[in-house]
Amino acid sequence: MRRLNDIACVFRIQLAGMRDEAGPFLLAAIVFPSAMYLFANAVGGEAGAGDAARFRFLAGSIVFSLSLTSITWLGYLMLENRFTGRLKLFATLPLAPSSYVFGFLVFALAQGALSTATLLLVGRAFGVAVKPSLLPLALVVVLTILCLCGLGVVVAARARSFTEGSLMTDALGAGLVFLAPVYYGPEMMPVAMRAVSRWLPTTFAASAVETTLRGGSDVSVEVLALALTAALTLAAGFKLMKWRED
Amino acid sequence: MTAQALSVRGLCKRYRDGTEANRGIDMDVRAGEVVSILGPNGAGKTTFLRQVTTELRPTAGSVRVFDVDAVASPARAKSLMGITPQEAGVFDRLNVREHLELFARLKGIAKRDARAAALEVAEELGLGAEFTKRVGDLSGGQRRRVLVGLALLGRPPLLVLDEPTTGLDPASRRAVWGVIRRASASGSTVILSTHYIEEAERLSDRVAVILAGQLVALGTLEELLGRLEKSYRVSYRDPLDPEGETRTRYFASFAEARRHVEGERLSEYSMARASLEDVYFALTGHHIEAEELEEEACGV
Repeated sequence: MRRLNDIACVFRIQLAGMRDEAGPFLLAAIVFPSAMYLFANAVGGEAGAGDAARFRFLAGSIVFSLSLTSITWLGYLMLENRFTGRLKLFATLPLAPSSYVFGFLVFALAQGALSTATLLLVGRAFGVAVKPSLLPLALVVVLTILCLCGLGVVVAARARSFTEGSLMTDALGAGLVFLAPVYYGPEMMPVAMRAVSRWLPTTFAASAVETTLRGGSDVSVEVLALALTAALTLAAGFKLMKWRED
Repeated sequence: MTAQALSVRGLCKRYRDGTEANRGIDMDVRAGEVVSILGPNGAGKTTFLRQVTTELRPTAGSVRVFDVDAVASPARAKSLMGITPQEAGVFDRLNVREHLELFARLKGIAKRDARAAALEVAEELGLGAEFTKRVGDLSGGQRRRVLVGLALLGRPPLLVLDEPTTGLDPASRRAVWGVIRRASASGSTVILSTHYIEEAERLSDRVAVILAGQLVALGTLEELLGRLEKSYRVSYRDPLDPEGETRTRYFASFAEARRHVEGERLSEYSMARASLEDVYFALTGHHIEAEELEEEACGV
């Protein structure tokens, strides 16, 4: 119970702190990926106007949104706490560092749920015939967020300065999307990049989201890959996030 | 509760670059005491407090807080402490009520009691009128008071305050002094670091002086004054150089000081019992006012 209370309080502190920044948040998590969806449709030309491409673009935009939410935005908040001395307030308490991280994860999950739901509505509004398999989609979204949040926590815990951390989270948040076959097929990538990109979590996430948007539910390989990556990144994040300096 | 609030033995901190910030500090603080820690900038005061509050792992030595091993069990030790770090930030977008209430909940105070605890602390710190104001809209002094308030939540038996009044306006400083006095009167132990001699003199049962990472003095004001061989101070202007700077000399007794005044035919002078500041100067070779002026000039 104590741990749940701690996680809820960290979540509420971040939520209350967001009140004045709902606009920029919406821009980052919803409007920007929505615009990317329209842009991808536009540059896809006639070939891109087909259903297959539209599903890919929508899945890509959802993954892009999750990436922005989980790495760029969440990493920014954690870096802000660390480099403005707010983290010290938590460190003075008998609070487990993992509860602090979990509070952020809950915050990211809430953001992810909101942005994914909004993007599904955007997709429908633009004529994508989505028939999402809700449970598999929810599982994929949660695992994607956990996996990417782990990376955000690692960067926020290790960065030597706010600027360094921000640059890293920005680069990772966008890079993991654009270096993976999210908005386009792997055949369009240079050969050397294909080998790397096939192992990126965003590749698995985009593939699984696309499958579930079409009503499919056979995403076991992607779920396994995302679960493993999430376990790895979160384990690293929990290990690095500590109150006591050596 | 044991009678010992804090017991530190052989505390050392050596950073990776080889800097030795603390070099074998031993200190005992009895329950209910107010102990001020003085020392020049960079002497190791904050490093010492950060080790006590478990923020920094000691290279060697032990820290026990009410008999709890703070090195091995930091969370248990922190549950007995209210801590105001020297450089901590507040959540600007929360209002005072939310800030205090949510941190009260993080300290394990039940939801139904958290609001009352938050209001009580806010009123004690003179922030009752600001209770629903955003922390970001408060003055610097008021924000610092919020930080002190976070330490008070739950009425922990040990308060560790790292320079709680640095940079505060007189009203805010008095409010914090009042909090420290009331906490002490209600049985809490308080350990604070400060750059203000007056603060240490007014609030403390005992004063500690840290210099170059070592504890060079710890005692009551009388005990520290007793360490001075010459405990009477005469400040004067030289009659032959009336435009010159004020000079200071120390004497072993009042009679000796008096003889000096008469012998030199001083007309512009003041004579006083040596103060904590004189002890501090004798121990460290630093004038604390000079340090404060340097800090203010640097905008610290």
